[in-house]
Amino acid sequence: MTTVPTLAEQASPPTAAGIELRAVVKRYGTQTALRGLDLEIRDGEFFCLLGPSGCGKTTTLNLIGGFVGPTEGEIWIQGRRIDTLPPHKRPVNTVFQSYALFPHMNVFENVRFGLKMDRVPRDESAARVREALQLVGLEDFGDRMPSQLSGGQQQRVAVARALVKRPAVLLLDEPLGALDLKLRQRLQIELSQIHRDVGTTFVYVTHDQEEAMSMADRIAVMNDGRLEHLGTPEEVYRRPASRFVADFIGDSNFFDATVTGDVAQLTDGSRVGCAGGRNGPATLMVRPEAITLGAGPTSISGRVLQTSFLGSYLRVAVETSSAEEPVVVALREGSSVPSVGDEVSLSWPAGDGIVLEPPE
Amino acid sequence: MTAATDAAAAAPSARRRGARIGSGVASYLGFVPAILLLGLCFLVPFGIIVCYSFWETIDYAVVHHWTLDNYRYFFSVSAYVSTMWWTLVVAVIATAFAIGLAFPFAYWLSRYSPKRLRTVLLVLVIVPFWSSYLLRVYSWLTILGQQGIINRFLQWAGITNHPLGVFLYDRPAVILVLVYLYFPFGALTLYSSIDNFDWNQLRAAMDLGASPLQAIFRILVPQIKPGIITAIIFVFIPILGEYLTPQIVGGTGGVMIGNLIANFFQEAEYTRGAAISLLVAAFIVLLLVIFRKSLSAKEAYGA
Repeated sequence: MTTVPTLAEQASPPTAAGIELRAVVKRYGTQTALRGLDLEIRDGEFFCLLGPSGCGKTTTLNLIGGFVGPTEGEIWIQGRRIDTLPPHKRPVNTVFQSYALFPHMNVFENVRFGLKMDRVPRDESAARVREALQLVGLEDFGDRMPSQLSGGQQQRVAVARALVKRPAVLLLDEPLGALDLKLRQRLQIELSQIHRDVGTTFVYVTHDQEEAMSMADRIAVMNDGRLEHLGTPEEVYRRPASRFVADFIGDSNFFDATVTGDVAQLTDGSRVGCAGGRNGPATLMVRPEAITLGAGPTSISGRVLQTSFLGSYLRVAVETSSAEEPVVVALREGSSVPSVGDEVSLSWPAGDGIVLEPPE
Repeated sequence: MTAATDAAAAAPSARRRGARIGSGVASYLGFVPAILLLGLCFLVPFGIIVCYSFWETIDYAVVHHWTLDNYRYFFSVSAYVSTMWWTLVVAVIATAFAIGLAFPFAYWLSRYSPKRLRTVLLVLVIVPFWSSYLLRVYSWLTILGQQGIINRFLQWAGITNHPLGVFLYDRPAVILVLVYLYFPFGALTLYSSIDNFDWNQLRAAMDLGASPLQAIFRILVPQIKPGIITAIIFVFIPILGEYLTPQIVGGTGGVMIGNLIANFFQEAEYTRGAAISLLVAAFIVLLLVIFRKSLSAKEAYGA
């Protein structure tokens, strides 16, 4: 582009990463939305920015899309620095949460708009629009106006409109937020399929952990303007980097503990196995499905408060002296079912007792 | 349309006629005030004007003698015809400036201005209406005139040593004052139609490669077209009939068709004045018919 690289840019050549954020800070007045974010998104990856509202995930998306500029730091896409470019000069397209379809144009014209702006010849653009509409399964809807489409169809038009430009990166800002659960699940599958078909890097913002888990190659869990954990869905679930991540993704049981090697001593003095990793005061986290009823080499005991049948599993809440909150256990089908009031022992493989930083 | 409404109103009353005598008439009672007002204040005067335009004035008296002479006379005097053309030119330029200024103002007001400031600014737009129209036009004399603010400033700054007369008494002065007078109509109309706009659409357009101006003209403008046309109607049509502004700040060069009409009536040439009035009215009706067609375009995607 027209920007001349400065000395600093030449000194730190970009990596081959699809998108790279380097020490990006974003402040709005006195509010800090991002506190120095370093992030590398690989080319062709389905990447999820996950976190509660206000965590900075949408700000990150807007920084990549160019709708806001970083206060500090740099953003690179495929070896090109882009944080100084206006939105319409970035190789990035966005699917907006509200779809933002143009109501005065039909579906075909909506999808063609970006190609028109790029002065793509009419024949070529018409072919590409048809191709994009086919990709999202709306090839027969070109003549419809957006107001004549269902929410799911509008969402697909928005995807086609963004993908028709063959961007290096597709940004999706909670695109399924306005749809009902069934439709959302179907579109999750469709989006994954589209991602495989086009091979473009997808950066997907959501606060719904299930959505992130079901589609993403890697997830960045964010909290309060910081990156809490970056990893595959399995890593983020099985080896959460912090109590926040463990709490935000899936159900979890937390115990205050003092860790020595692979043994954790809980507040009531009972000793249980853990994965280790740090010594001293810590938080021990165990997923409900890792716990089994019955005495093991190390176990804690308690009394059954409630059993709930939840279809694919049986949830048992157990009151123990080791934790303030009842311990939640997820029993698979075929396990023997305890009754409310039963005294039970709880145990788990040492490797499933994840040691995290203690609360401040 | 009127026929359909009449039929709809008549149908139920026809059914009830057997039960209650006179209810057919009663159902129209509500229209009486409106019919009286419209009839007395609009239809009757309009009828008189139409008749006058086809009658003759002899010795300052209107004679009921049917003729097309008034119209022929108007088109036979080239000064009148050129005044008509200049009126159109002035009206087009003034409307273009008024709308051209009102659009960015309305855009900024609804997109960027802080919510609290917005009400204050809207009130400021309306404030001029609290003072007399005549006063507002006269006040421009104190700005543009020989002893006016601009001339005093130029002399004070040493740019000129004698007052300049170029600011007043010609078409530019008329256009300037008309833009000032009609800006609020344009601004308020445009603001009300821009205010409902989903700004994400402009973001989407820019995301898809449109420059900011392209986004505005390809996405925002087509969607508020009905509002823009309404604003143009509100500004252009009253300007066509303006005669006080050109009379006060226009001098001989800024004469508009309204001044011609006023002159004819002041000189008791009622029938000629009536003919020109009708020509202007016919032109406005023609414009409205054309605009109505473009206004109905909003139904295409409004559903």
